[in-house]
Amino acid sequence: KDSVDCSMQHQQITHSGDSDSIKVFVRVRPLTQGTGLTTDGDQGLCLSVTSPNTIRLHSKPEPRTFTYDHVADMDITQDSVFSSVAKNIVESCINGYNGTIFAYGQTGSGKTFTMLGPSDFDNFTDDQRGVIPRSFEYLFFLINREVERSENAKSFLCKCSFIEIYNEQIYDLLDSASASLFLRENIKKGVFVEGAVEKFVTSAAEAYQVLSMGWHNRRVASTSMNRESSRSHAVFTMTLESKETAKEVVNIRTSQLNLVDLAGSERQRDTHTEGSRLKEASSINRSLMCLGQVIMALVDVSNGKSRHICYRDSKLTFLLRDSLGGNAKTYIIANVHPGSKCFGETLSTLQFAQRAKLIKNKAMINEDTQGNVR
Amino acid sequence: TEITNMASTYSHEWRAVCDKFNNAQDLSEVESRKDPENDPFRSKYKARELLREIYCSLKNFDVGENESVNDEADQRPTEQPVDGGMEDGFGRGHCGDSPAGSRAAKLGAVEYYLGVNHVETEELSAGEEHLMNCMTLLEKCSISPENVSLFIQVRNQLGILWAGRDEIEKAQGFLETAEAMYIRYMKEDGQPPMDLTEFFVAEEEALPQQERTKRFEMAYTHTLYYLAQVYKNLEQYEKAGGYCHSTLQRQLKFNQFIPLEWAINAATLSQYYITKTLYMEGRHCLSAASVIADLAGEVPSEAAAQESEAEAEKRDQLRQKRAEIARCWIKYCLNLLQDAKKLLEDNIGELDMDRQAELRATRLQEEEEKERGRKSAVLFGSSDTFDSICGLEEKVSCVFPVDFEEARAIFLVGQTYVNQAKEYFEMDGHVTDHIEILQDHSALFKALAFFEEDLERRCKMHKRRVDMMEPICKDLNAQYYLLVCRQLQFELAETYYEMMDLKLAVANKQDDLDAHTVKKFNHLCSSSTKFYQMFLDSVRSPEGKWPDKLEDEVLRPALVAKFRVARLHSRLISSSKTVQLENLNRALECYNFVVQYCKDNPEAKSAIETELELSEEMVSLLPLKINRLQANLASSN
Repeated sequence: KDSVDCSMQHQQITHSGDSDSIKVFVRVRPLTQGTGLTTDGDQGLCLSVTSPNTIRLHSKPEPRTFTYDHVADMDITQDSVFSSVAKNIVESCINGYNGTIFAYGQTGSGKTFTMLGPSDFDNFTDDQRGVIPRSFEYLFFLINREVERSENAKSFLCKCSFIEIYNEQIYDLLDSASASLFLRENIKKGVFVEGAVEKFVTSAAEAYQVLSMGWHNRRVASTSMNRESSRSHAVFTMTLESKETAKEVVNIRTSQLNLVDLAGSERQRDTHTEGSRLKEASSINRSLMCLGQVIMALVDVSNGKSRHICYRDSKLTFLLRDSLGGNAKTYIIANVHPGSKCFGETLSTLQFAQRAKLIKNKAMINEDTQGNVR
Repeated sequence: TEITNMASTYSHEWRAVCDKFNNAQDLSEVESRKDPENDPFRSKYKARELLREIYCSLKNFDVGENESVNDEADQRPTEQPVDGGMEDGFGRGHCGDSPAGSRAAKLGAVEYYLGVNHVETEELSAGEEHLMNCMTLLEKCSISPENVSLFIQVRNQLGILWAGRDEIEKAQGFLETAEAMYIRYMKEDGQPPMDLTEFFVAEEEALPQQERTKRFEMAYTHTLYYLAQVYKNLEQYEKAGGYCHSTLQRQLKFNQFIPLEWAINAATLSQYYITKTLYMEGRHCLSAASVIADLAGEVPSEAAAQESEAEAEKRDQLRQKRAEIARCWIKYCLNLLQDAKKLLEDNIGELDMDRQAELRATRLQEEEEKERGRKSAVLFGSSDTFDSICGLEEKVSCVFPVDFEEARAIFLVGQTYVNQAKEYFEMDGHVTDHIEILQDHSALFKALAFFEEDLERRCKMHKRRVDMMEPICKDLNAQYYLLVCRQLQFELAETYYEMMDLKLAVANKQDDLDAHTVKKFNHLCSSSTKFYQMFLDSVRSPEGKWPDKLEDEVLRPALVAKFRVARLHSRLISSSKTVQLENLNRALECYNFVVQYCKDNPEAKSAIETELELSEEMVSLLPLKINRLQANLASSN
């Protein structure tokens, strides 16, 4: 009798293949005036790009070097950002994989420029257009090519949704009148936002229109409802369904491309671990809010035993569970500002990006060491 | 006359001070919440000005009366008092309730409020200075009911301040001193002390005793709450756990909690105890969590939820949190069974009778010690809830079960909670959670099966596991739930394997194998193979290619699966020699795979030592058997 017991245990973060693990692209924006992030006359830089995948931060007393999949200096073109980050992901989407691109960084570090382009939405043909318009173009280029090649045996259906997560509430950016929405899970569909509007699109221009409409709604909402867009995450999802008819057998594949604009990293500090700072008792006094987090940390360090954690994932990590070490290809673009005034934010962005590299499947083997093979 | 004169000016000026103080409190606590975003500290700055004025008035009051105090208070201390050392603030200088002591406390209180004000407006150094001034003033006083709150609260604030600067040890010093002061005060004096706000109210407005107690105890609860965080940050987890427990306990005792929040925290703490094999404490936390969660009220009906959004939210919250607590209970039962199994099993995973007798004997001894241990354990419960908590505790044991009957009792409790948890975490809407609960249910069966001596019945228990997992494994979309799919496939393969083993053991007791048994046995073999194969296929790329190098996470499971598939093939029973030959060849192929993989990737060896050794043996033995069979087959043709 074999009593070697191999079971895999589900940890907080789900599976990722090594080849599919999260990749990190760091982009340094140029130092320009008028961003509010450089002081007049202070042209000091807090970092330098030392190779295509290393960046050195001029910290005291010792400079620190960080390594990523790719580090782009100030002079990189929009086109080569797209080629390194998105091209491969878009290609895999056509082949039925899920893909996600996150943009992360301090407000003013060039997130919008990287993702969209210089001035929003009149830039569809602009040389400076960002990752998102280029992805749309490439996606539909590939779709058309596939359809042609298959001589119409293959067809594609493409729909978009656009939601915003603010304060753990989900809003539909394509239907600004809707109340907040819920996340649900389905055995066939995985995690989805229940009741989110989905718009069918047939070209890059249409997709871009949907995006710009949602982007506009996000702004309106942020002013009218006291929602701050730098504090919210926006998730644009394209669901691609391909149908191939061969010898009367219909083969359907679906995949998702998620484009995520994360809240400004300077705002993340409120919610993330703040080092050693103590949480104070809230003024209501009955609520000692962080006690649960303390206990959770205690439970987390004792590995190996089966335990239940009562605190739920944040909405964002739940929605993008597959992308965060899941069954998907994922790239994080970390945008940093090189100005010495931004040192603190840049350091924390670089650290976040480094932690992101570590997000991997933690499927564990639980073994009965008593066991003996007979 | 001189005295009355003084009293009247005093009382006149005193009233002004009290008014100012009230005003400052109001600005700081209430008004400040309405401050505009571009001027966030407006009210706090106003409050600060008032506090400064109060400070000046106080200094003028007693001039002449207590010159010595005045002088001392004016001097900047050459050496700042630092906590964490031996000094504990008892029995130094003048009496806490002497006029000089009272004056020092009042000035100290203003310094305290100024300190907090500066900290809140992000001027940490200035805040620290004020708080340290408060410490200096108190330095000269012995602890009394008048100033003990101030002694403790100023240290709470300094603890928070220093932790924010990453100087945890410094924070720890202040907070531990505060803790020691509370304990000693309660031992030596214990009457409800004055609150900080009472320094600045007219005598007739003094707080009732009950309110004084409440506020004082609350400040100390905060000390413990901060210490829990400090110890966590210092990675002293055991201590941190203890302080979390005490914090929860005090919240309950002084009725200062929000039921659902408290219940979830207690349930989480139970999981900490479980991972430390402290089942008595774990059970206590869970019982308290269940009882307190019930205080949060009735679950609104579905109809009510459809009527109003507030009711809908309340319904969801209550149902969810109670389901979460049920899931913590499941883990309690599961771990208790699994740990007992570990203690009781022999080297081939069967129940060891000697150990069983041993465990029975030690348990008797423990029963006696339990009485003592119980008293020293920290218990939850106010007078209202204590009985309900104990009542719930009695429904499930906290000692390791030694036989089937005892194991079954724990299993049944676990199963009840499985059903409770599933009511909220339905498959439609909560796929991952629902499956996790099913996996626990299956694990409960597995652990229980260990205690079952009748092999047929044991087999039936495993069949139950198959029945709950197999349909889901088929339906689940692997694109979104790859890891869960793999877990289910692997577990199903193992379960069938286990059943095959049991069938074989039963059959071996009989003399001859009838056709029906053989058929059944072969069916179990191929079912097991099928799921191992599904798991192995999930490791391939979408183009169907086997990876050159297995990822760490699947390395061992994948090689074990290959190994098991090999054994399953060699075990299939067939009367046809051709089929036998086919099966043996397949088995050899799989053994070869394991051996070859470890040759190509030597780092994998350590992960599957035993299986590798056996595979190597089989790779050298099987060809002989195959050759013999081949020869046999050729000659019979």
